[in-house]
Amino acid sequence: MSTTATQAFAGAGAAEDNRTAEQRVEGAMSAFARGFGATVAMNMESCIHCGMCADACHFYIATEEAKYTPIWKAEMFKRAFRRESGAFAPFFKILGLKKKVTLEDLEEWQELLFDSCNLCGRCSLICPMGLEVAELIEIGRRGMYEAGLAPKELVDRAAQQAETGVPEAVEKPYADLLKEIGEKHGVDIVLDKGKADIMVCAPRSDLNRNPSSVAAMVKVLNKLGANYTFRSDAIVAENYGYYAGSNGLQKTIAKRVVDQAKKVGASLVLVPECGHAYYSLRWQAAELMGETLPFKVRHVTEYFAEQVAAGKLKLNKVDGLPTAFHDPCQLVRKGGVMDAPRTLMSELGVNLKEMYNHQGYSFCCAGGGGMNDIERSRPLRLKAQEMKLREVDDTGAKRFLTSCSDCRVAFDDAGEHFNWDKKTESLVELVADNIKE
Amino acid sequence: MTLLEFARGPMLHFALLVFVFGVIWRLVSVALLGFRKHYSEERNSNDKALMVGTATCGLRSWPHKEFIGRTAFGEAVGYGYHIGLFTIVLLGAPHVIFWQNLFGFSAPWWPTLPGGLITVVSVLTVVLMLIATIRRAMHPPLRQISNFDDYFTLAILYAIMLSGLWAVLGGPGRYEFILAAHIISFNLLLIWFPFGKLMHAFYIFPARFVNGYLHAKKGAAT
Amino acid sequence: MSKLKQGKDRPTIGQVMDEAGVGRRQFMKYCAGMTALMAMPPMATTAFARQLRAARLPSVIYMPFQECTGCLESLTRSFAPSLENLIFDTVSLDYNHTLQAAAGVAAEEARYQAMEENFGEYILIVDGAISTNDNGIHGMSDGHTFLEQLYEAAEGAAAIVAVGVCAAYGGVAAAKPNPTGAVGVADLIKDKPIINVPGCPPIPEVMTGTLVSFLASGVPDLDRHLRPKAFFGNTIHDRCYRRRFYDRGLFAKSFDDEGARNGWCLYELGCRGPTTYNACATIKWNGGAGWPIESGHGCIGCSEPGFWDQGGFYEPVTAKLFSERGQSVAAAAAGVAVGAAAGLAAKSRKKKLAGETE
Repeated sequence: MSTTATQAFAGAGAAEDNRTAEQRVEGAMSAFARGFGATVAMNMESCIHCGMCADACHFYIATEEAKYTPIWKAEMFKRAFRRESGAFAPFFKILGLKKKVTLEDLEEWQELLFDSCNLCGRCSLICPMGLEVAELIEIGRRGMYEAGLAPKELVDRAAQQAETGVPEAVEKPYADLLKEIGEKHGVDIVLDKGKADIMVCAPRSDLNRNPSSVAAMVKVLNKLGANYTFRSDAIVAENYGYYAGSNGLQKTIAKRVVDQAKKVGASLVLVPECGHAYYSLRWQAAELMGETLPFKVRHVTEYFAEQVAAGKLKLNKVDGLPTAFHDPCQLVRKGGVMDAPRTLMSELGVNLKEMYNHQGYSFCCAGGGGMNDIERSRPLRLKAQEMKLREVDDTGAKRFLTSCSDCRVAFDDAGEHFNWDKKTESLVELVADNIKE
Repeated sequence: MTLLEFARGPMLHFALLVFVFGVIWRLVSVALLGFRKHYSEERNSNDKALMVGTATCGLRSWPHKEFIGRTAFGEAVGYGYHIGLFTIVLLGAPHVIFWQNLFGFSAPWWPTLPGGLITVVSVLTVVLMLIATIRRAMHPPLRQISNFDDYFTLAILYAIMLSGLWAVLGGPGRYEFILAAHIISFNLLLIWFPFGKLMHAFYIFPARFVNGYLHAKKGAAT
Repeated sequence: MSKLKQGKDRPTIGQVMDEAGVGRRQFMKYCAGMTALMAMPPMATTAFARQLRAARLPSVIYMPFQECTGCLESLTRSFAPSLENLIFDTVSLDYNHTLQAAAGVAAEEARYQAMEENFGEYILIVDGAISTNDNGIHGMSDGHTFLEQLYEAAEGAAAIVAVGVCAAYGGVAAAKPNPTGAVGVADLIKDKPIINVPGCPPIPEVMTGTLVSFLASGVPDLDRHLRPKAFFGNTIHDRCYRRRFYDRGLFAKSFDDEGARNGWCLYELGCRGPTTYNACATIKWNGGAGWPIESGHGCIGCSEPGFWDQGGFYEPVTAKLFSERGQSVAAAAAGVAVGAAAGLAAKSRKKKLAGETE
């Protein structure tokens, strides 16, 4: 366990930061500077200020407030780039054309970067210049973390997860929780097997709130006769370091999973129904480690769809209930798991009613990117969710499925608030319930 | 040396040199920042990613249907005046001669459009630019993210368009002065080009390509 | 050369017309033509005629300097003897050493006499550029430099008419490298009304018309190059009968192609019409018989300052050829160098900011 990394970043919590303003801005600049590559530079240099990204962002659409324009959220990062690293940086600096980023500026941007962005990446698809807007915002968040301006909710969880492997204070270790779930749902859960082909994780939110979907996943694995195991030291799939914008914490947290997978000799790490866990392990872990990982990373729906395609997993047809499916953005739009959920649904004979914005273009659940955990952002989140729920209703669906526990948390909260008539269900549970014997 | 002589002689040549120098400066300095090495297992092969990246260069010009409802107006205006500008510059007879003169080549095959048509296109282009400017100043997100660069670039463009129209329509004032103003404003555009947002002309395809390519490697939406 | 009384005793133009047997109808027709040429409203004709009739015949001193006599040829070779010729012929041309019968000392004496008797009232016509290098010794007559003669003659002039592009702007004599330091009248004389009638040569009707209009109503409206707006207010291009081909994008690409035979626009063959102000397209030449573009050749811009030095007559003038390939390569190389320096500086700055050590 790399406690050194944890300690190094432990001081970066918003409230207890006792560094000088200058040091904190320096911290932000260091994170920004790590992002100054040719790709990012090209993105920032080519922005034509057309404002179209606003039209992709659910928070702007729901509120029509200019400050939610995605590229505006990256403004401080852009400014730092222009001043420090752009082609004409010396001019900008000497002539004072771009002001130095101050702590006050960063404080002002905290709300825009954390409380009103899910890092859902929809803006990256609308940009006529082809800018990866979401990446700029993500680097902006990393700067905020280093300045000690990431929201405390996220930083605390990230720091705790980096240190203990669990992002919250628990009465009962997750391993015990997992065993209980197995007993309760009548499935054998393999835990801490010495060697296995597949290492499986579970979403923290499902362990607590929707244990049946964890059980469902295990049920299918057992049915397939997969050689898998959970590892007590790396049960949690989520990576709060990603939410908090901390390179260090994210790396420490990812490393725990990677180490365990190496230890059991897994050739595959199965990410459960959790979008950002998938994105951070599938696409960011290797980058943070700076090495190619010795195993593949697959989302559970991807794995199941592969088994269906191979004829190893056969499913019964379900009822003809009109069903809508929410595409989690970290999985689908950003993660590339485009077809797996639909392969499973078509195998199940689901009467799928697509939303107007679906697959790569779906609207985010508005709870991602850590917003589920930031209480003060709830009013804004609800505004965007109201829009989303209406879109689901417009399909005429009676059943609502998704494949991300974080999305479910967000929808459950919104559904409760608006007295919505639908419950968000897990696709994996539907699969588990309809295995052809 | 008359103003016109100055405008189309030394000033134009100076502006060209600044343009070449600045554009290369800016492109080289960005390229030298380096591309990151990627370690994650790719979903799609390099060949496929190259194809998707190339395709993105073109496809991104047309908004995805999910966005079109909200962006159609802005895109129509934006692309509209760009098409207008290219039509005028590449198919207007005096401009075609201008390029041939400037770089000393002969291209009898180069087609031109009737002057009257170019004039109509110019007027439409100015109208679209006006709409774009008003929109920039009024539409809240646009207003929020607009800066000096945006308005200054537009101002130069207006100077070029209006002086050009003025010369063609024979407005008050002496022709050679108006023509000189037209060429000088174009020279200013060349000089400003590398330093402002006009560089998007060089970045647009690389930016689209790189992002299309990187997304394709993940299998993500492009 | 008529021997007329000097000063206030000089007859009016009306009297001269009557003597020559010019009828009122013919005179009015001429005035109507003049006012139309000068874009004056038709109602102004009567007033113009009255003023012209009442004007006294002036004394005119015609000074030839660095010139080729082309302008004088143009002036005297008008086809049909027109009324303006008549007026011009009857004015007191007190000195023009090309035309006058007297020569040598007698001629110079006539000039001094006219200058003295009409001091402050005579019209000075200057033909040709004036050399200024080496105190003007490159152009001399009667032991005096043109420079001296100009200053001398200008002193008592009511107005100066610079005839031809050389007198107006230095013209051919001032063409690069301008070894004699030739300049136009307006470059030297600052305290007299100057009217430029440039051209190589100017249209005869424009020369006489300018003179007549000066007699009738003083110094006419001038443009910024001191040319009468009445004759130099429009470009050749604006009034060119081939303009419609330009507007349709139809150009002759060589002098013997289909386009040339069809009479298409000569812009691509170097026509200076768009930037040349003159009346060729309307008044035409040789009594209205034709003009260069009608004959199939582009305008060479002879009424514009510096016309001789604006590149080849057959090069279109939209842009000066960018022939400095070396410079552009140098600019590109400098761009690479500075860009590389900026990029590397940014990279090391990045490392410093990011706290990386490599």
